[in-house]
Amino acid sequence: MKRWPLVLLLCWPLSGLAQDGFDQVMRLLAAVPAVEGEFREEKQLAVLQQPLVASGRLYYRAPDFLRKQTLSPQPEDYEADGDWLTVETPAAGRRQFDLNGYPQLRPLVEAIRATQAGDRNTLERYYRVEFEGAPEAWSLRLTPLAAEAARYVTAIVLRGRGARIASVETLEAGGDRSVMTLTPR
Amino acid sequence: MSLARQRWIPLLWLLAALASGWIVWTTPVVADLTLFAPRADPVAELLLDQLRSGPTTRLVLLGVDGGSEADRAAVSRRLAERLRPDGAFARVVNGAETLPEADLQALFARRYLLSPAVAPERFTAEGLRAGLQQRLAELQSPLGVFQKRWLAEDPTGELLGLLRLLQGGLREPAKRLGVWFSPDGARALLLVETRASGYDLKAQRAVVTTIRRAFADAAAGTEARLSLSGPGVLATLSEDRVRAQAEWLSGLSLAAVVLLLLLVYGSARALWLGALPMLSALLAGAAAVGLLFGQLYLITLAFSVTLLGETLDYPTYLFSHRRAGESVDDTLRQLWPTLRLCAATTALGCLAMLDSGFPGLSQLGVFTVAGVTAAAATTRWLLPVLVPPQWRPPRPTAVGDWADALLRPRPRLALAFGGCGLLVIFGLLLKAPPLWENDLAALSPVPRELLQTDQALRTALGAPEVGHLIAITAPDAETALQASEIVGAYLDRQQRAGALAGYDGAMRYLPSGETQRRRQAALPDAESLAANLDAALEGLSFKPGLFAPFLTAAAAARAAPPLRVEEVGDSLLGVRVRSLLTAGARGWTALLPLSGVRDAQALAAGLPQPNHARAYYLDLRAETNRLVAEFREAALPRLAWGGVLIAAVVGWGLRAWRPVVAALTPVLLALAFTVAALLALGERLSLFHLVSLLLVLGIGVDYGLFFSRPGADADLRRRALHALMVCCASALIVFAMLSTSALPALRAIGLTVSLGAAASFVAALIVARPLLNRMD
Repeated sequence: MKRWPLVLLLCWPLSGLAQDGFDQVMRLLAAVPAVEGEFREEKQLAVLQQPLVASGRLYYRAPDFLRKQTLSPQPEDYEADGDWLTVETPAAGRRQFDLNGYPQLRPLVEAIRATQAGDRNTLERYYRVEFEGAPEAWSLRLTPLAAEAARYVTAIVLRGRGARIASVETLEAGGDRSVMTLTPR
Repeated sequence: MSLARQRWIPLLWLLAALASGWIVWTTPVVADLTLFAPRADPVAELLLDQLRSGPTTRLVLLGVDGGSEADRAAVSRRLAERLRPDGAFARVVNGAETLPEADLQALFARRYLLSPAVAPERFTAEGLRAGLQQRLAELQSPLGVFQKRWLAEDPTGELLGLLRLLQGGLREPAKRLGVWFSPDGARALLLVETRASGYDLKAQRAVVTTIRRAFADAAAGTEARLSLSGPGVLATLSEDRVRAQAEWLSGLSLAAVVLLLLLVYGSARALWLGALPMLSALLAGAAAVGLLFGQLYLITLAFSVTLLGETLDYPTYLFSHRRAGESVDDTLRQLWPTLRLCAATTALGCLAMLDSGFPGLSQLGVFTVAGVTAAAATTRWLLPVLVPPQWRPPRPTAVGDWADALLRPRPRLALAFGGCGLLVIFGLLLKAPPLWENDLAALSPVPRELLQTDQALRTALGAPEVGHLIAITAPDAETALQASEIVGAYLDRQQRAGALAGYDGAMRYLPSGETQRRRQAALPDAESLAANLDAALEGLSFKPGLFAPFLTAAAAARAAPPLRVEEVGDSLLGVRVRSLLTAGARGWTALLPLSGVRDAQALAAGLPQPNHARAYYLDLRAETNRLVAEFREAALPRLAWGGVLIAAVVGWGLRAWRPVVAALTPVLLALAFTVAALLALGERLSLFHLVSLLLVLGIGVDYGLFFSRPGADADLRRRALHALMVCCASALIVFAMLSTSALPALRAIGLTVSLGAAASFVAALIVARPLLNRMD
């Protein structure tokens, strides 16, 4: 019992260090005006014998435009601009959603968009955020706060170097997981 | 006068008043539009059913303004939470609700019977393969996270199609912070459906109170304000407004009339005596309607009260004619032939309305005939026994010389006046048809700013307008649904051709039993389905055995009994179905509301008529306007017949044609001048004007009769002038005040009667005597 305050005291500078790292990374990311890259996504699902693999392009423009354009195996386009999400698929055509109306959807968008924007406030509105590492090589573990989102997604882990997000790993509630790796163009 | 008579007349009156009061007390007053409906018109009946209790009349639209955006959203959520458990509401939606898990499961369980996509080709090897590939694409997409849970049981994706169908009914408003908002974000929006009809004013009043109270709780500590609208709310709010304005104006004018009578007669007794005939008229009229019809329309009541304004004049005639040296009874006996004619003309003028096909007109007729008779009888027999035989008001002792100057016949002026009148009458005839207002909205007492709020909320919410719809009547629900499907197929074709933008209907959510059985037949038997599935899965990477639950579900669906309307319950599906498919006294009615109709006539002309059912195309606005126009067209010739009856009774009463001409010409001129003045003021004539003209007719005939009383000496003429000036002045006071009202109905009545009373007085004064003299 008596030792606890001492341990806490020892940990204090460490946690402060982590916070500094987080803020530093957020500042680095916030300074990026636009990103254009390619992604490769691998999903491992319980219902399938082999993983699903998809690839395409990812675009970002500060502060709140994010577009995920899948090219293979079939074309699909997701575009989040401010509060609006536009979905275009060959089967259903073009549809628009107000992200505010879909409390389970918004956190998924913000995991990538708000991180790339260095917008700590928005991230913390939807997630418990755990930062690890240093600006040169960092990881963010996002755990959904709202029950609607937590029902589907256990956690999202983003890994990066400096002002660049290198991968996004999504851990789903049923044990399914997907990893998206990003390479700049 | 005998002592016995002194006693039994008041007693009789009291008994009659009590009995009438009892009848009136127990007669329900209804505030709906059936009074416009001719009896035995099926379209009108359907229409009025819709106006009375259709799903659109049960909507309450709510808006939350003020405070911050977060405040408005939070208030919207709290308000919805407070309202939902209340049994008065069938549904409360603000965009935040998700389909309850139980509803979702119920839909899922019935998916093969309810989904319109179910067809044989969907369950062949190729069909299943297409479905499975679609599911793989969904798993790939970011949204796949949410759809995975249904995969094993629903490889063809029927649930998604069903959900899309359920969302399709209403165009949803935009959302902010998870709830509905107006496009500019200034107002959070909610939609409430009451269980009670929009015309059940008592229930709607309770609903408004409940909502306001819940809002006060939900908005405590914020700056948020509530605005609400909807047919029921508008009706109660406007009733409040009308009542408040009418009470304020009538209170004010009552005070003014009391002051006038006190100044003129200098007697308090004259005041309460003067009120008795009007009171008797109201009681007797309402009781007669209650006895004959069993219910009283609010509008009839309002119109009749206006019409009975004439009865206030009867005691005035008595007071002004009281002379020293004769008893009250003597005065009345002298006045009686004229008074009797006054009452008889008004009653007969309305007699023609008694047998009209419109309950509203008949009620108006009964009310007036009974009321006027009671008022005349009260004046003649009750008033004299309530006062000492020699009683007379302190004033006027004598009517002065000024009266003689006014009364002196001026034949040239009369000729000029009559000539003008003739020109106006010709003008009106040439200008025919006059401008009639058939739009019920213009007749509605709803204040303009409430209508603006309603429009704003309605546009923002995308709530259906009360507009075009198809109504299908059938002996049972199954036939109604089958007929709806036939009409639906027709509407699909028309929609593709661009004749309308869309439609809704119960059969979208609950197909007929026949269709459900056809869908069951589209599912292959267990063995073939398993074989088809195996073939479809070839080369796809789904885990073996994953779709076993699908095979079980399909087998169960093949054997399941069709879902019937009695079983839909209180789920989202149930509420939707029951608002569009209802059981009534004469079978079932299915409604198909239409939106964006281009050519109503063509759409109505091609409407298929299914077996054992009838389909009607209703354009609610056009139909109500048609009903109002028919109502008026039925009323007009009856009024003309009433005019003939009036002339006949005046002729019978006066026994010579000259006094008849002298008595009736002024009112004819006065009516012409009044109508011309109304048109010159830019008024479009509505039912309110028409009924007010009836009152003008009633008092105009009275004025003519009194100014042309045969055998009247100079003193009697002066006293008649005095009486008529008092009558005219009080009518002017009351109705001129009404005409200042902002409410269209009160304004119409006030303007017409005050113009008419003034015109009748002037016309009778100028024209009646010269006509009589010339012919003497």
